[in-house]
Amino acid sequence: MPVLEFKNVSKSFGDIQAVTNISFSIEDGEFVFITGPSGAGKTTLMKLLLRQYRPSEGEIRFGDWQVHKAKKSKIPHIRQEIGAVFQDFKLLHEKTIRENAEIALAIAKVPSSEWRQRVDHILDLVGLTERADLFPSQLSGGELQRAALARSLVVNPKIVFADEPTGNLDWETAEGVMNLLLKINKEGKTVIVTTHHKTIVKEFGKRVIEMKKGEIVKDSMHSDHKEKTKKMKTKK
Amino acid sequence: MKLHLKTSFDNIKRAPFQAMAAISVLAITFFVTTLTAMVVYSSEQLLQFFESRPQVIAFLTDDADTLEVENLQVQLTGDPRVNTVKFVTKEDALAIYKEATSENPLLGELVSPSIFPASLEISPMDLTFAQELLTELKEEPIVESVGFTASIGGESAVTEVIERLKTISNYIRIAGIIAVTVLSITSFLVLMVVIGMRILMKKEEIESLSLIGATPGFIRAPLIFEAVQYAFWGVFIGWLMASVLIMYASPTLFSYFGEIPVLPSETSDFFTLFAIFFAAELIVGLLIALIGSFISVSRSLTMK
Repeated sequence: MPVLEFKNVSKSFGDIQAVTNISFSIEDGEFVFITGPSGAGKTTLMKLLLRQYRPSEGEIRFGDWQVHKAKKSKIPHIRQEIGAVFQDFKLLHEKTIRENAEIALAIAKVPSSEWRQRVDHILDLVGLTERADLFPSQLSGGELQRAALARSLVVNPKIVFADEPTGNLDWETAEGVMNLLLKINKEGKTVIVTTHHKTIVKEFGKRVIEMKKGEIVKDSMHSDHKEKTKKMKTKK
Repeated sequence: MKLHLKTSFDNIKRAPFQAMAAISVLAITFFVTTLTAMVVYSSEQLLQFFESRPQVIAFLTDDADTLEVENLQVQLTGDPRVNTVKFVTKEDALAIYKEATSENPLLGELVSPSIFPASLEISPMDLTFAQELLTELKEEPIVESVGFTASIGGESAVTEVIERLKTISNYIRIAGIIAVTVLSITSFLVLMVVIGMRILMKKEEIESLSLIGATPGFIRAPLIFEAVQYAFWGVFIGWLMASVLIMYASPTLFSYFGEIPVLPSETSDFFTLFAIFFAAELIVGLLIALIGSFISVSRSLTMK
């Protein structure tokens, strides 16, 4: 059963069609790139998944949730299971990196006795242990992206959805962030990355869903890829 | 909880002038509230004092024997309209007379107990019963004559004094209620504005929290804690200022009102009264903070 499924999803804002008849499914443990130029509808997909937008048509299933018809009171619970990494990081500027991660744990109602250990582990994973007590304004772009990733991972979400994580980064830093996402994926986490960075997509050779003008124009998932996924699952 | 408290402390530290404005308005509100409560308490005490004075006096005949007097006293004590009944002997009456004329001892020396009639001093439950009691007592065979307390100027004077006190007391109460209501509404609005400004300042942060799965309750909590802290400090400062002022003025008040207990004379009662004021004001302050911040946050989150 897929961990995430979009079925004939459309979203329009008045006369403007943001996404049209989008269908795809992502299996547990997959690494998927969603690519396309600006305005293709990549970020809209993330917003639909986070239920910032309600789809005009179609169904979105995530785990046991039917996101498209979830009640308002259930939306925070859906979001808690998605490790969202935003292009503009959305870190809390008045909190340190450690506190940012702790807030995510508090939201997920993780007992405070576990916070230190979990935050230390995740900061170590993203290589920010020495930056734990700094504020976001004191970090570089790459470090901010890793901090945002740490915050999303610390609650052990079902999937990681990173929106343009390499958007504002130089090649070297972008590669570092992508390697980190790959490392997380290798540990069994489903990772979805939206990007317009074609070189990165080519370099990592993963499944690619290509979008253009709000529609999926290509999904690289083929039998070969399916086999890979099956193999990965049997390994687990 | 700890996290929300820390966030609310941080909010206050980062915008101290907003915090000061909110606390100042609340402090003024509760300063006036404490003073009003004290004035209402004192006017109640004043009224109660005058109302509980023996207003009806039944002067007894010289030949009334002890048994007859006791029977009448028992009868009056059992009457639901009567609060207290006190038997004043001829000797007691002389002593009262001597005390009243102590500035001119010669007047006291010229009289003997025999010229003063024994009497029953009756304090009705309410002044409206005084006239009925007076009429009924006139019919008693051992009662020679009846009258209102002479010490405060006779029938008309008593009713006038009490009516005037009741009117003043009502005016004080109405003025107090209006002042406290206006100030409470102002405090409520100021709190809403301050919390609203805080939300505006933290719009991005609130959006980020919401996107990572924070429930509305989680987002609301630090802002409500912040309002609660404003309310606590506002109530405490206002109450403390008013209490210090009343304590400072209490010796003058005690000497001016003499035996009338406008303020509790026992130290423990005095502080208990202030503790009750503080507890009541804290409840009102917290309600203002909780309702004000809740409405403000809910409005902002809905508008977002």
